[in-house]
Amino acid sequence: MKVDTGINLNLRAIPDAVKAMEAQGYDGVRTAEMNHDPFFPLLLAAEHSEKLEIASSIAVAFARSPMNLANIGHDLNAYSKGRFTLGLGSQIKPHITKRFSMPWGGPAAQMRELILAMRAIWANWYDGEPLQFVGEHYQHTLMTPAFTPTDTEYGAPKVILAAVGPKMTEVAGEVADGMIIHPFSTQAYIDSVTLPAIEAGLAKAGKAREGFELSYSCFVVTGRNEEEYNKSKVAAQERIAFYGSTPAYKGVLDSIGMGDLQGDLNAMSKQGRWKEMGTLITDDMINAFGVMGEPQEIAPEMLRRYGGFVDRTSASFPVSNEEQRAAIIDALKAG
Amino acid sequence: MKVDGGVGLNLSTVGAQAAELEEMGYAGVMTAETAHDPFFPLLVAAQNTEKVELMTSIAVAFARSPMTLANIGHDLNAYSKGRFTLGLGSQIKPHITKRFSMPWSSPAARMREYIMAMRAIWDCWHEEKALEFTGEFYTHTLMTPFFTPTNNDYGAPKVFLAAVGPMMTEVAGEVADGVIAHAFTTEKYLRETTIPALERGFAKSGKSRDDFEISYPAFVVTGGNEEELREAEVATRKQIAFYGSTPAYRPVLESIGVGDMQDELNRMSKQGRWDEMGELVTPDILKEFAVIGEPETIAGQMKARYGDIVDRTSAAYANIPKDKRLAIIRDLSD
Repeated sequence: MKVDTGINLNLRAIPDAVKAMEAQGYDGVRTAEMNHDPFFPLLLAAEHSEKLEIASSIAVAFARSPMNLANIGHDLNAYSKGRFTLGLGSQIKPHITKRFSMPWGGPAAQMRELILAMRAIWANWYDGEPLQFVGEHYQHTLMTPAFTPTDTEYGAPKVILAAVGPKMTEVAGEVADGMIIHPFSTQAYIDSVTLPAIEAGLAKAGKAREGFELSYSCFVVTGRNEEEYNKSKVAAQERIAFYGSTPAYKGVLDSIGMGDLQGDLNAMSKQGRWKEMGTLITDDMINAFGVMGEPQEIAPEMLRRYGGFVDRTSASFPVSNEEQRAAIIDALKAG
Repeated sequence: MKVDGGVGLNLSTVGAQAAELEEMGYAGVMTAETAHDPFFPLLVAAQNTEKVELMTSIAVAFARSPMTLANIGHDLNAYSKGRFTLGLGSQIKPHITKRFSMPWSSPAARMREYIMAMRAIWDCWHEEKALEFTGEFYTHTLMTPFFTPTNNDYGAPKVFLAAVGPMMTEVAGEVADGVIAHAFTTEKYLRETTIPALERGFAKSGKSRDDFEISYPAFVVTGGNEEELREAEVATRKQIAFYGSTPAYRPVLESIGVGDMQDELNRMSKQGRWDEMGELVTPDILKEFAVIGEPETIAGQMKARYGDIVDRTSAAYANIPKDKRLAIIRDLSD
């Protein structure tokens, strides 16, 4: 299993941070799109590393024209010599329409088309195919030599898609090169919803599972001592409770027979009772969302549970002992 | 007059190129949006320089959401410690709708709203004002602390707008911090059309000319010897003929009484007669568009002609030796 880690968006800190991460043995670094552009840090990460894979995880797809994303993806992949992966997510309707002032259609159908549009643009640039993409959400029919990149040695980046529901998951299987499973996923949900939907998508496109990369960052509760362990447990409880309060994720709680909890969590979230919400998350529930244990138990348990279907993880290992953390990374990479 | 220089979009070489331009005394380095992202090279340039201003000239505004551009503008300005200028242009309808799959309508009104939307977003981030921008073309009403940048030392970048026609030029005067005039502009057009349009814009927003920059990349015809000068002249005449064949630029030709030439150039362009088209640009017409002469005379001519109206120009002077280029940049910048 490959191991990735997040980098924050502070551009000044990137060069030293990525050098350290490469030295620590991480396979890749990832940015999330929050209050900064998610691609600038990856440009600096590419410049200041040799082998690290770089990925957005995720960039908000519908905030941008497929043409812009195709261009950004091309440039980062060319500059990093093939190390870039464009990780996309849909965000939710109010953020697309009211924050970005961009159109929101049916998200799974729109995402499918957005990725196909980028692929049509790349096929035009790299293979000289005419650009004649006329979809329901996106139309790209004009390209001239002045706007066509010529540094095409590394071609298109990989495209991976973040998905929770079965429709978006199936789109990932069909048109993406990989998928990011949401951390708020149980083994039962992955088995009953995620993996079958991916298979359905792969079948539609006639693709093999081997070339498709699954990324999953389960919750990890551990620590070098009792105090650190308890702190990481409370953090996991609060985060699980936070996700669990979202109506769209009720299906995930249903997968472990806890669907009713969603209503309670949602009501409490509206009263701002975040700390108290965390106390409703039992050890059994944490165990459904990830692994708990001594540092040396983490990698073997992750490999046992997820090794059969997960290709890479960017789980965080909340243990302050550098050697213990390095041992987890090494063991996962070896497994 | 400040002098800016263009840098290429090759991310592996742009750092050294920007550092060289800074060393040569250029005030700013600029990228154009062609086959690559126009912002990445400026991030690399920022990393490799200390003082030089960093500008897009131009990035295609309507290809993007005002929110993503506000974010990019904020990030580049913060990282470069206040050296970034977001230079925007509208492009033309087919490129926006058929290349970028983005909406196009009334470009001047849309651009005005676009820049105001970015300013509303920056006011929300930097001045803690509520984000309540509801326009005809853009709506931005949602912002949470999670999506709000906190590295606010340098605030918003300057925004420049490329404009030719009087409506877009007036918008630049009203809502932008500077205008980027087209190289295909005569002195008469600048004085009789561009400046009055800018002044109407200033009046609308109560802005002073002193708070505004006019950037004009004049055509410069020069060379190290007679032959090079002649070559530069032929090349510039062809370039002027090429722009002159575009119907939208007819008013520029009209400013010097040769509007009818547009029809002929347009007809010839459709027959691919590019070399011949250049011959229609007579020495008198060339003079209206270009500063012509030995390298030693260029800075003086530029200042005499444009010194009272132009704040910054951009030029490469690539066909003359470096010491002469340096002298022009120094003399212009004085």
